[in-house]
Amino acid sequence: MITYLARRLAGVTGVLLAICAITFTIFYLLPADPAAAACGKTCSPERLAEVRHFMGLDQPVWRQFADYLVGIFAGRELGTEPHTLSCGFPCLGYSYENSLPVWELLTDRLPVSASLAFGAALMWLVLGLGAGITAALRKGTMTDRTLMIGAVATASLPVYFTAVMLLYGVVRVAGLLPYPEYVPLTADPAAWATNLILPWTALAVLYAAMYARQSRSSMIEAMAQPYIRTARAKGMPEPTVVVKHGLRSGLTPVLTIFGMDLGGLLAGAVITESIFGIPGVGRLFFDALQRSDQPVILGVTLLAAFFIVAANLIVDILYAFIDPRVRY
Amino acid sequence: MTKRMHVALAASLATSLVLGLGACSTGNDSGGETSDDGRGPGATGVIGGTPKKGGTLTVLSNQDFSHLDPARNWVMPNMDFGVRLLYRTLTTFKAAPGAEGSEIVPDLATDLGRPSEGGKVWTFTLKKGLKYEDGSPVKAQDIKYNVERSFSPDLTGGPDYAQQYLADTEGYQGPLKGKHLKSIEVPDDHTLVFHLKRPVAEFSYTVTLPTFSPVPESREKGVQYDLRPFSSGPYKIARYDRGKQMVLVRNKHWDPDTDSVRKAYPDKIVVKMGFKGGQIDDRIIASQGADASAVEWADMQPASVSKVLSNKETKKRLTAELTGCTDMLHLNTSRAPFDDPKVREAMQYAVDKDGQMTANGGPALNEVATAYLPPSLTGGNKSDVLRVEPGGDPAKAKKLLAEAGKPKGFKTTLTVSTGDKSRAEALQESLSRSGIEVKIQAVDPSVYYDTIGDTKNAPDMAISGWCPDYPSGSTFLPFIFDGRTIKEKGNQGNYAQFRDEEVMKRMDEIADMSDPTKANKAWIELDAQIMAKSPSVPLLWERKPLLAGSNIAGAFGHPMWTGQFDYAVIGLKNPDKSQG
Repeated sequence: MITYLARRLAGVTGVLLAICAITFTIFYLLPADPAAAACGKTCSPERLAEVRHFMGLDQPVWRQFADYLVGIFAGRELGTEPHTLSCGFPCLGYSYENSLPVWELLTDRLPVSASLAFGAALMWLVLGLGAGITAALRKGTMTDRTLMIGAVATASLPVYFTAVMLLYGVVRVAGLLPYPEYVPLTADPAAWATNLILPWTALAVLYAAMYARQSRSSMIEAMAQPYIRTARAKGMPEPTVVVKHGLRSGLTPVLTIFGMDLGGLLAGAVITESIFGIPGVGRLFFDALQRSDQPVILGVTLLAAFFIVAANLIVDILYAFIDPRVRY
Repeated sequence: MTKRMHVALAASLATSLVLGLGACSTGNDSGGETSDDGRGPGATGVIGGTPKKGGTLTVLSNQDFSHLDPARNWVMPNMDFGVRLLYRTLTTFKAAPGAEGSEIVPDLATDLGRPSEGGKVWTFTLKKGLKYEDGSPVKAQDIKYNVERSFSPDLTGGPDYAQQYLADTEGYQGPLKGKHLKSIEVPDDHTLVFHLKRPVAEFSYTVTLPTFSPVPESREKGVQYDLRPFSSGPYKIARYDRGKQMVLVRNKHWDPDTDSVRKAYPDKIVVKMGFKGGQIDDRIIASQGADASAVEWADMQPASVSKVLSNKETKKRLTAELTGCTDMLHLNTSRAPFDDPKVREAMQYAVDKDGQMTANGGPALNEVATAYLPPSLTGGNKSDVLRVEPGGDPAKAKKLLAEAGKPKGFKTTLTVSTGDKSRAEALQESLSRSGIEVKIQAVDPSVYYDTIGDTKNAPDMAISGWCPDYPSGSTFLPFIFDGRTIKEKGNQGNYAQFRDEEVMKRMDEIADMSDPTKANKAWIELDAQIMAKSPSVPLLWERKPLLAGSNIAGAFGHPMWTGQFDYAVIGLKNPDKSQG
């Protein structure tokens, strides 16, 4: 297990390094010039050169990349004397558009995205697994067909459509809820939940449909296995057969996609956060794209990559606990 | 210059520039729709009557401020927010709709400045009793310090008039290394003397910019000063979460007796950021709860126009002041086919400006532009030297193209930001009438200006706008048509890459004029000369449509900040009804 973990961690580091290098290269090739953008609307060539020097953009790209990597592990000083900026560990660069280190911006927005991701995940797991398992256990019945038609229909609705329809129907026409405005959980738990119901629902509708279909097929496959027949033959109660034997192995493939989905959402649901005005990592990314704020774009990309590879690793480890047949 | 000369100069500037504004902004003079209650697109009066003191004003925004550090603040609505609420400048614009709003009055200074040496030296005296948010006095040194900060390479983005006008600034990189400018003298705590490179007749206007507001050296935080400017205005920052929310509360040390402009009606101002434009419109139209005491920051969406205009009550809560900016189609004069003035002239006739107006929200939000200088810089008159029909004149365009040796037209490329694709298609269609085949290249807004500002790879045509910083042609034509401003990369303003010796020589001559009336007339004449050379086709003069909640009073679009609400005097009808 330890060897396996070490091998996987090395792989994770390699993936993150590669993503960092690729993103850096893309920025280098793009026509956007962060120094010109920062410099303002009438920037003389001399002033532009000063700004470029201050931002370190006059250095060769390999040097900029090396400095960036060192900064992640050791922090670094940015800018030039006497205007230097201190960017502490882990330094993911400095957003000149926001006048803040990228790490600070990310950690500020992360709880918001986490609120959105975990709430939505809980909702889609309950709905999706509930529907999928019910459909699997009632395979071929009207319930099964109804649930699956519903799942196909909702899975084909893009989140930007569902979100706008929810806002229109629930807020504008029915007036059941106010327009969402994020309130921190610690400030007012009730307001936190009330304001997140719609974004949770918008995401959950999409994901639940996919989980319903995935869990249905997995469960049907699992319930057809010989060990299920054996358990039943031994006189084991049906709920135990379903939950202890069927669900454990049926859930393994669902867990794989769950890790990926949750990891991706933790790094920001760009469309959902933008539509509902939720100040999470996704909207930070959206704003950064609008303003060509390259350090933030790079930071969010790395964070997203980190969450996805980390979620993958955790899921792989969890396999061993869920499915006794898996060994490392 | 004697005091008498100065009074004459100031009066003359005010008359020539400001009175002229009247015609462009005193109501529905533009052909925009009118309504029986006198409001509607183009209406520029005050929404909601006179406010009462107290309550919380909410501002709903789709974005964060780019910069609030006064050395870096150079986006029109942001300047309005900064100089009206957080810091004061030596002079400022009156808080009034229409023509009156373009008049300047003393702010921190006791008067509009006293020029000498033919307008090369300007002296300002500070009022007594000016204080920061901690009660400490505002000193002349602090204004000098902020002007010096604007030279720092890390404090980017701000107005560059100090660099342009002040004498002996070459190589200066700000005060952090302990070096100070000799061209700003501070003989005592209340006196500032600016030494300029050349006479600047409208320097009283220049010092309305946030560069000329105070920052005490003890509060210097470099780039992080942007997160919390130290207040000399009526409000101070209680909380600022970048991209999320800003909360302003009263600066108890601000003395209204020293301030003839700001009324500071609300007790608290909350700016909520990051909402979708259409949702902001819907919230303010509905005006429920705190939204009744809210105004919108960014333009009302074109899709909301019909919802607002069809309802008498909401129509009363709309303002749509002219932005004072001109939207143009720039023709790349550095290479064929637009290196030929005849081809460029043909373009003036080939473009259907009515089509542009329709594609950009219709007559409620735009007017057809007939010159580069907006009406606010031409005495309120809409200059129209070429007298082209708004729908264009394809026959004349074809005739001119034939004279240019292109009887069958030509193929060309147009680069636009993705948001302007419908406008690009309207242009494509209108130019095809004259045999001009346009290939559209739509690029992401985040790289648009970098793309069209890369002179080597610049497209044949591009769309962009320009707004004056204060009512003078000097803040307009040189930025977009002076060939000396062209840069290989990051070229900004002169997207036509227009380099014309005659025009540049004339620009220098006008800049040296000490009589603002003559200078203003000369800018208008130069505008006509450039129109004849046609490096760009003026397309639209846009309006800024903004909605206010039903509990808002004292709201109007200020002509100097592209029609943004004037935050000096905005407030609530009933403060008890506000929340938060």
